[in-house]
Amino acid sequence: MSEQLGARAFTGRTRAAKRKGTRRERATLREPSSPASRRRSPRAVLRAIPTAARVCALVAFLNAACWSIVTPPFQAPDEPDHFAYVKQLAETRSLPSSKSEQFSAEEISVLNGLHSFKIRLEPQVRTIATRAEQAELQGYLEEAAADTVPGSSAAGLATSEPPLYYALEAIPYTIARGGSDLDRLQLMRLLSALFAGLTAMFVFMFVREVLPGARWAWAVAGLAIALAPLLGFMSGTVNPDSLLYAVSAAIFYALARAFRRGLSASSAAAIGGLTAIGLLTKLNFVGLAPGVMLGLIVLSARAARVSGRSAYRLLALGGGIAVSPVVVFVGINVISSRPAFGIVSAAVKAGHGSLLAEANYIWQLFLPRLPGTVNDFPGIFTTRQLWFNGYVGLFGWLDTPFPGWVESIALIPAAAIVLLCARGLIQSRVAVRDHGLEIAVYAAMALGLMLLIGADSYIAFPNLDGEYGQTRYLLPLLPLAGVILALAARGAGKRWGPATGALIVVLFLAHDIFSQLQVVARFYG
Amino acid sequence: MRSVKVALAAGLALLALAVGLTLLQSPLSVAASNKVPGNETAIWQTHQGATYCQAHESLPSGVSAIRIWLVAAAGPRVSVVVSSHGHVLTSGSRPSIWVGGSVTVPVKPLPRAVSDVTVCTSFRLGDETIDVQGSVTSAAVAAYDGRTRLYGRMGIEFLRPDKRSWASQALEVARRMGLGRAAAGTWIVLLALALLASIVALVSRMILREIAS
Repeated sequence: MSEQLGARAFTGRTRAAKRKGTRRERATLREPSSPASRRRSPRAVLRAIPTAARVCALVAFLNAACWSIVTPPFQAPDEPDHFAYVKQLAETRSLPSSKSEQFSAEEISVLNGLHSFKIRLEPQVRTIATRAEQAELQGYLEEAAADTVPGSSAAGLATSEPPLYYALEAIPYTIARGGSDLDRLQLMRLLSALFAGLTAMFVFMFVREVLPGARWAWAVAGLAIALAPLLGFMSGTVNPDSLLYAVSAAIFYALARAFRRGLSASSAAAIGGLTAIGLLTKLNFVGLAPGVMLGLIVLSARAARVSGRSAYRLLALGGGIAVSPVVVFVGINVISSRPAFGIVSAAVKAGHGSLLAEANYIWQLFLPRLPGTVNDFPGIFTTRQLWFNGYVGLFGWLDTPFPGWVESIALIPAAAIVLLCARGLIQSRVAVRDHGLEIAVYAAMALGLMLLIGADSYIAFPNLDGEYGQTRYLLPLLPLAGVILALAARGAGKRWGPATGALIVVLFLAHDIFSQLQVVARFYG
Repeated sequence: MRSVKVALAAGLALLALAVGLTLLQSPLSVAASNKVPGNETAIWQTHQGATYCQAHESLPSGVSAIRIWLVAAAGPRVSVVVSSHGHVLTSGSRPSIWVGGSVTVPVKPLPRAVSDVTVCTSFRLGDETIDVQGSVTSAAVAAYDGRTRLYGRMGIEFLRPDKRSWASQALEVARRMGLGRAAAGTWIVLLALALLASIVALVSRMILREIAS
């Protein structure tokens, strides 16, 4: 209730001040870009992060580090491909050029030593189990070390991805150069784990901005997300998704902050810069970008009410920074007579079928089929079987699920959280109404990402059904999940809210521990 | 706030109990298999729903799951029926969305072994493809779909709970976890446990400080 009042009071004050156009309000809106705030040192910025947010970051990092130990080397989605990309970048300073899986002899040797090809997608096959197999692996590692051909021009599916994450991973790769590929992989996984820490921290900060009056609920959101098994699993492996989650969470936070404090030059530059980082991290970020741009437009229009047309310069600043990597990339390709969007151009051209058929497919990928439409997913309730069950647990090469009864039982706490969240929303309906535009921006980001996943899956349809129907692709929306959890805890009421929040966190902890046990049972049992 | 402390304590106690009970369970192990190592091949491919049956199998006692060697990218719902002379002995089904080269279907265990049973597996397909893996045999003993004979016998494994619990196999699992690592050794398991313990401690402390206050 206090949050609700706080939000209402904040909105009321802002509106009144905008109407009057008082000097004080203008100063408030411009405050973040004042010289004093611009001069804040990085250390001061770090100090401004609440201790609770840092603890959430630490929990998420430790959790992902634990996952990096539990998950066998290269037994995560496309990890050999991502490793090959880093190898190419670190050793040759150039990008991979082939989408084949003919990795370097060094990497293939290690994969053979680990029996990777026999284990992946074969849930009944375990990892190496004997000293003899370990000795055999050692032989393969020595053989790999003898390979002097640098890089790996083939990086499988990773080839089409932008280079930022791989460039960062080249640092631990280079540091561990004296070791084996397994040493490098472990160090690279730990860098990914750091990104999990950033993700949880930004989720905490985002919830703090969105629900300013419920301090205890921030911790519920931050801790629960830090313990989310899918975040731990993905960030415990070498995969650009880990950085994508962190950048997405940061951008949600930056937008929420700008919606509270008004758009300034520094916040516009931050939103633009984060968008550029996102675009340089993984192609999936393209789905979020239109929503972010919508956010910048809304924020600029709001600022223009106070500071006039000059506010649109902020839009140009943020937008310009955001699209700069795309402009540079297209420019380089055009100059060198290659397809404008590089290797992605072919995928864009690969569309088929009518727009209506595609829209129907995308709808059914996420939601139950509408009456009278063609069934693109016969026998599958996608909402539950692809997305919900995928969240409950699908690890390794998506070959490690929980037993069916666990997925059924998981519906009970999930339904309770949804109901409590709905109650929390009803309690905060005034604040929700007052923040309609901001919520619309977040909804546009979510919708954009879902459309991208659906459109990409449709390219492979009907040969493959729901190719990208994997819950991990929705994790850039973790900040919104954090808000749902915080609202659910608050929905239990003032008396039982904190206890419910504690139970939600313990539920996520239990889910995390049992997920890791499931992985242990599958690979080492 | 007392309710938060009670919730935390009760939640952690339940979690510990659940982990303990899980460790007392036994993993599934292969009780019988018709697979011939190195002899597996695709014996059939289909793009539509089917019911494949295979006679002359032996069902060991206590079997709680049957693994059929079907290959799919995102497998459909699969049902398995085990019968003897037209009488259904046990059955089960597995929901759709499974991947890989086999599907494990839970079934009701029988207290006794039964020989010469027929195992039938059914599924419905939309646009996908399913490969049946097995070994090539003569048509007389091959699996069949109605009147159509497949090119051999499907790979089938009968699974039942191992005699030993997870807890009693913990050391072997730990040793296995220590292999194929950057720094091989069982110590890696202790590190993982230490990390988990730190997480539990940090989370508990944070709940008491931030949520209970």
